[in-house]
Amino acid sequence: MSLPVLKVEGLDKSYPGVHALDHVDLDLYEMEVHGLLGENGAGKSTFMKILSGSVLKDGGRIFIHGQEVNIANPQHARQLGIGMVYQELSLIPELTVAENIFLGRWPRRKIFGGIDWPQLVARAKDALDKLGVSINVKERVSNLGIGERQLTEIARAISMNVKIILFDEPSSALSDEERERFFYMIHALKETGVSIIYVSHRLSEAPRVCDRVTVLRDGKKIDTLPMDRADEETLIRMMVGRDVGEKFPKDETKEGKEVLRVKDLTIYGRLHHLELTLHQGEILGIFGLMGAGRTEFARALFGIDRIDEGKIFIEGRRVGISSPKDAIEAGLGYLTEDKLDGLLMQMTIPPNITLPSLRRFCKFGFIKHNDEKETAKGYIEDLGIHTPRVAQKIEFLSGGNQQKVALAKWLCSQSKILILDEPTRGIDVGSKIEVYRLINELSKGGAGIILISSELPEVLNMADRILVMSDGSFVAAYNRGEASQEDLLRSVVAKK
Amino acid sequence: MDKQSSRPKVFSLEWLKSQVATRQQRARLLIKTIIVAMGGVFCYAVLIAPGFLTIGNGINMAQRMPSIIIVAVAQTLVIIGAGIDLSVGAVMAFCGSLTAVAFCYWGIPVWVAILLGLLSGVTIGSITGLIITKGRIPDFIATLGMMVTVRGIALILTKGLPVPSHFTVVRLRAYLPPQVIWLGSGRILGIPASLIIAIAIVVVGWLVLNHTALGRSIFAIGGNKPAAILSGINFDFTKIKIYAISGLLCALAGIILIGRMNSANALMAGEINLQSIAAVIIGGTNLFGGQGGVIGSLFGAGVLSVLSNILNLHNVQDFAQDVFQGVVIIGVVIIDQLRRRYGR
Repeated sequence: MSLPVLKVEGLDKSYPGVHALDHVDLDLYEMEVHGLLGENGAGKSTFMKILSGSVLKDGGRIFIHGQEVNIANPQHARQLGIGMVYQELSLIPELTVAENIFLGRWPRRKIFGGIDWPQLVARAKDALDKLGVSINVKERVSNLGIGERQLTEIARAISMNVKIILFDEPSSALSDEERERFFYMIHALKETGVSIIYVSHRLSEAPRVCDRVTVLRDGKKIDTLPMDRADEETLIRMMVGRDVGEKFPKDETKEGKEVLRVKDLTIYGRLHHLELTLHQGEILGIFGLMGAGRTEFARALFGIDRIDEGKIFIEGRRVGISSPKDAIEAGLGYLTEDKLDGLLMQMTIPPNITLPSLRRFCKFGFIKHNDEKETAKGYIEDLGIHTPRVAQKIEFLSGGNQQKVALAKWLCSQSKILILDEPTRGIDVGSKIEVYRLINELSKGGAGIILISSELPEVLNMADRILVMSDGSFVAAYNRGEASQEDLLRSVVAKK
Repeated sequence: MDKQSSRPKVFSLEWLKSQVATRQQRARLLIKTIIVAMGGVFCYAVLIAPGFLTIGNGINMAQRMPSIIIVAVAQTLVIIGAGIDLSVGAVMAFCGSLTAVAFCYWGIPVWVAILLGLLSGVTIGSITGLIITKGRIPDFIATLGMMVTVRGIALILTKGLPVPSHFTVVRLRAYLPPQVIWLGSGRILGIPASLIIAIAIVVVGWLVLNHTALGRSIFAIGGNKPAAILSGINFDFTKIKIYAISGLLCALAGIILIGRMNSANALMAGEINLQSIAAVIIGGTNLFGGQGGVIGSLFGAGVLSVLSNILNLHNVQDFAQDVFQGVVIIGVVIIDQLRRRYGR
């Protein structure tokens, strides 16, 4: 084979507490579409960020056309011929397609330096023609559908004359029809001599677009396979096949009486007739991929988003929940997916822990600081929060410890029902196990727990029952031990 | 980057170089130098100012400070709650004018007139809060609108004339009531009464912020709005309370101001918006909310008052004083931002 366009050797990157990339190798040839697969947190995004220049590598070497390069920043990456198409679109809605494609690089008139509109339009048309798509380049981006926006973004990358394009989950926002057009476009793009790295968590997509695939797991490269040797079964095994037994300290729990029953919960267009029951001491797993409606469900249950239809019963009594305050009073606690939504970073541990139950710590409107501090101390000990002092600001704690403070908040408010949305995302393995232990303790203490997760091993090993969610509906239900990882993935895929 | 294993000797040239090796260290050094230099210039100006350390000058300053201290406390609460109140000066002018008009022209008893002034402040503040929360308008815009509106109503109320007007004083012998004048310029044991009130407000403000559920809620909505709402805090109601308190304190400051000037007019307290915000920021409160306190704002108000006083003593003309103040405010904010970015 000829010289690879891009060669990566031993790429390494650590964040505090996480080894995000552990000596990863990869090569990319001309006119190749190279799939990069892996679970959440496998290191795909970090890999792409290093190549596109938004994150610096710790170690390893990168060669482009055989020459070693040190990618310093996104501009530098672009000069080297690497373009990135982001998951979150980075277009300016109030500008036209043409203006967006040449954002910041508009062709100028010779006199006065004004923008040369005819040339701008012509060149934008040219860039879109290369993709084999027709979009009115004078249209405002805000009037376009999500698929057309994606194409505009890709046209922008192409117009920079890049030789390597990185796609980060490009199809996650597209409809089925748009996705077909998108795949077609990828092939057209390849024909123009461009090489592509394609990150996706949709296994079914890989055979449609990729020539070879590389699987990452926990920051390590598992293997690179040509597409014809990589069927879905093999890939799933490569993605999830790890020794997970003792990582999940799950104890048998006795199921108590019903604490929560949700009937027919609906938000038009987003959540469809969701039903579930939850018992004391039970851990109910909700598995689904990004965009399946898991977080929307949690938000609806907690009174953040208004529900259109449906009834919620807590301990057999119907409750109306129209604000988080109502939810807290009804005995719910909600650990958000984004830790930033749960904590006051600039404040210390005690105020954060007592925030939802502050009234209990007040006398005549004044806060009893000693009680508050003692309570916080208790949780710091119980949950094993590592901190040099009680009055430590949250921003100086590690991710795992921040998560424990967030959990302590809901323990302190004496929640009977805890909704945990991706409780272990972004924290290292050691802290993960501690969080799992805490979840166990909580369920043994009689709390009902809804564990929302997109990590297969987590759901399978921690939950007593699993509901699979897809497109705003529960599509399958399994009892503990009934389902394998493959079963869960299939139930998600089957519905697609 | 490779870690260096050998550490150079302290105070050697290598050590000095290592202290300014990274961008962050250089920035920190620069920040410290600027702070020390500014402090030095300030102290020098104070010391050489003719007549700064006289009792007369002290009393003069002590009587000018209370309004700005009280408004700075109000502004502190607002800014910690991630808002900003541009209507403080207008509310002061309106409430002061209303009290004066109620007493002088409507013949309302003095204590009722004062109460009316204070109540009008609470009402205006609550309306501002309602506009922000129910109308979903940024604080900046809502208070900017209120600033113009309230100032306009004050002008209608006073017909653009001082209260009591010259005519009223001469013909009807109607003055501002002695109680109001005492609030503005009376003394208790030689200390201006208004200063004692202002200090009491600072103490109450400190208590509210640091020892009550309301204070905690203010920090929470300013520090992280989604987290506050998720923890069951009523965002709208907290916001309305903040602006109602701000209105009340501005009304009080307005009444003290008319007492000191022995006259009310709809155009007074024009500079207090900027001054109160500057005092809060000089005092170390985060302009974007969630961090800070009233003690710092008291200090900030003090710095601004001393600054304006020494410029007067140095006979710097009024227009140039504005330039000075503007530069100081911008400088302080820049340093504050640099410190947040590069650490202390």
